[in-house]
Amino acid sequence: MAGTISHFHKPPERKQISVGEPRAVRWLLIAIALLFLGLVLVVPLVAVFTEALRKGWVAYGQALIEPDALSAIRLTLIAASIAVPLNLIFGLSASWAITKFQFRGKNLLLTLIDLPFAVSPVISGLIYVLMFGMQGWLGPWLQEHDIKIVFAVPGIVLATLFVTFPFVARELIPLMQAQGSDEEESAIVLGASGWQTFRKVTLPNIKWGLLYGIILCNARAMGEFGAVSVVSGHIRGLTNTMPLHVEILYNEYNFVAAFAVASLLALLALLTLVLKNIVEWQTNRNLHSEPLIEPPENRP
Amino acid sequence: MSIEAKNISKTFGSFTALNDVSIQFPSGKLVALLGPSGSGKTTLLRIIAGLEVADKGSVYFEGEHATERSAKDRRVGFVFQHYALFRHMSVFENVAFGLNVKPRETRPSKEEIHERVMKLLKLVQLDWLADRRPSQLSGGQRQRVALARALAVEPKVLLLDEPFGALDAKVRKELRRWLRRLHDEIHVTSIFVTHDVDEALEVADEIVVMNAGRIEQIGTPDRVYEHPANSFVYHFLGNVNLFHTRIHDGQAHFANQTFDVQADSGAALVHARPHDIELSREETGGGWMRACIRYVHAIGPLVRIELIQADNQQIIEAELSRERYAEQRFATGEMVSVRPRQVKVFPAGPAAGDYSI
Repeated sequence: MAGTISHFHKPPERKQISVGEPRAVRWLLIAIALLFLGLVLVVPLVAVFTEALRKGWVAYGQALIEPDALSAIRLTLIAASIAVPLNLIFGLSASWAITKFQFRGKNLLLTLIDLPFAVSPVISGLIYVLMFGMQGWLGPWLQEHDIKIVFAVPGIVLATLFVTFPFVARELIPLMQAQGSDEEESAIVLGASGWQTFRKVTLPNIKWGLLYGIILCNARAMGEFGAVSVVSGHIRGLTNTMPLHVEILYNEYNFVAAFAVASLLALLALLTLVLKNIVEWQTNRNLHSEPLIEPPENRP
Repeated sequence: MSIEAKNISKTFGSFTALNDVSIQFPSGKLVALLGPSGSGKTTLLRIIAGLEVADKGSVYFEGEHATERSAKDRRVGFVFQHYALFRHMSVFENVAFGLNVKPRETRPSKEEIHERVMKLLKLVQLDWLADRRPSQLSGGQRQRVALARALAVEPKVLLLDEPFGALDAKVRKELRRWLRRLHDEIHVTSIFVTHDVDEALEVADEIVVMNAGRIEQIGTPDRVYEHPANSFVYHFLGNVNLFHTRIHDGQAHFANQTFDVQADSGAALVHARPHDIELSREETGGGWMRACIRYVHAIGPLVRIELIQADNQQIIEAELSRERYAEQRFATGEMVSVRPRQVKVFPAGPAAGDYSI
C-alpha cells in the first residue's frame, strides 16, 4: 500500500477542444489505461478469490476458522482498534495545533508528520527493534522488569501506530486551514467553552474529512506488512497478523488457506473503497450545497 | 457601557500593528474606526473583544479592568467581515447558539429561547428565513443574521469588523443606513471598523482616524471632515489639491491670506478640496492663479475639470456642479483664473501626503 492521499476536490469536468486528440489516439490511451489496470489490478484480484475457492466453500471456511487464522484475525483487529483511536486523537490535536495556533517548530511538526510516508516500513520496524530489542537501548531494562515489546503484541501495535499516524492529520490539516478559525472565534465570543466550540462548531465541519482519514488509517493499519513483520517474530498463533499469516501459509504451499485469508484483506480493501466513495460523495455534496449564484437580495 | 483602551501596543513579527494607542469609547455611541489597511484598526477591535492579546497596555470595561478576561467572558457581540455563520446550522440555530451554550443555571428555557430568537430575527427582518441554511442566503442577509446572533446574548458592546466590506455597493449602502436605525433603536455601545470614508461619515456618531498603528484624530464626522488635524486626515477623507508655500515666524502666506501654522519655519503645504476650487474668466490678481484647462470630465452629478497652473505646471483638480458648469461652459485649452475658496495649511512634514489610495 502506498502512502498517498487522494484529494477531495476534483476539478470540474470540461471539454477542452484545444487539446482534443484524434480519435485513434484517444482510443489508444484509454486502451492502454484499461489494459494496465486489468493486468495489474483486476486479474490478481480475481486470482485471489478463485485460488481461495479452488477447493470449494468448505475448504475456504475451514481455512478461516482454523485457530491460527482466527488468532491472526484477532491480533489484526486488536492492533487496528488500538492504533486507529490513538491516531485519531493524535491527528485531531496535531491538526488543531497546526491550523489554529502560531508556535515555534510548527514546520518541523508538519515535516515529522510526513515521516512515515517517507521512511520505508521495514526501517520503521527496525527502529523499534533497535530501541526495545534484546540488544537495543532499552532492551536490558525491559528484560529486568520482564516487559516484552518486540516479538510481542505491544511491538506490533507500536509499529502499526507509527506507519498509520499521518493519515488523519494529513486529511484534516488542509480542510481546517481552508475553513479558518472565524467560526470558532465567533462561538467563543458568544460564550461557548473550548469543548462546546469543538463539539458544536469544529467537529460538524470536519466530520467527513475525519471519517475519510479514519477509513484510510484503518485500511493501512490492517494491511501493514513491512514494519509489523520486522517486530513480530512470526510466532504462530501469538504474534502473527493477517498479512503475516498469509505469507507463512503461502511459504508452506498451503495456497487455499493463504488465499482465503488474503481474500479477507481484499474484501476489506474493497469495503474501504466503497466507504471512501460514499464519504467523498458526501463531502462533495456538502461543498456544493453552496449555491454558485447568490439569490437576489430581498429588500428589508 | 464605556470602553477604555490604555497604552495598547501590539506587534506581529516585525510589523507594528498598534503603537501605544489610548482611547475612550463613550457609552451608547456608534463609533467608527477609520483608516487604511494595515493601520491597526481591526487589531484594536480584536484586542477589545479579547480575540487578540495586546503586548502592552490594558482594556477597561466601564472602568473595570478587563485585560485578563477571556473573550468568552467579556460579553461582547462580534460581527465578522465574512459573517462567520455556523454553516451546518440553520439561521434559527445560529442565532440561538449563544443562548444554548449558556450554563444550565443561566440558560433560558426552550420557549424563551425560541421567543427571543424569533424577536431578533424580526428585528433584522429575517424571521421568514429561520429554517434556511446560511449558504441559502445572500450576503446582506447573512450579515444581518450575524448581527442578530451577536445581539442574542445581550452584549454590552457590539463590535463590527468591516461589517459591510464583503457586500456590493448598493446592499452596503442600504445595510449601513439600516445599522444606523438599528443603533438608534437599541443604543448598545458599538464600534465598527471600516476603510470606507463615506460609510464612517454617514453612519458614525464619532470617528477615530487611524494610521500606521496610531490615532490621528478623534471627533464627530463633521469635526473630522471640516477640521482635519493633519495632512494625513485631510488626505484620507477626500481628494486634495496641494500648493507649496513657506513658513515665516509661525505664519504661512498663500493667495493673499495669512495662516497660523504649528511650526516656526520650513515648507508648508496648502490643502484644498476640488469642490472648493473656484474658476473664473474675469478675475485676475488678488490671490487668483492663472491655469490652463487640460481636461473636462462631465459625467455624473459633478463636472471634474483638470487644470495646469501657468507658472509651475502643477495639476489642479476642480469640481463644479452641473448648473455652474452649464452657466460657464469652460472648454479644454482655455486659460482661466483659479482660486481655492477654503484651504487648510499644514507644515510639510515627512508624513504629509505619503498616503496614496
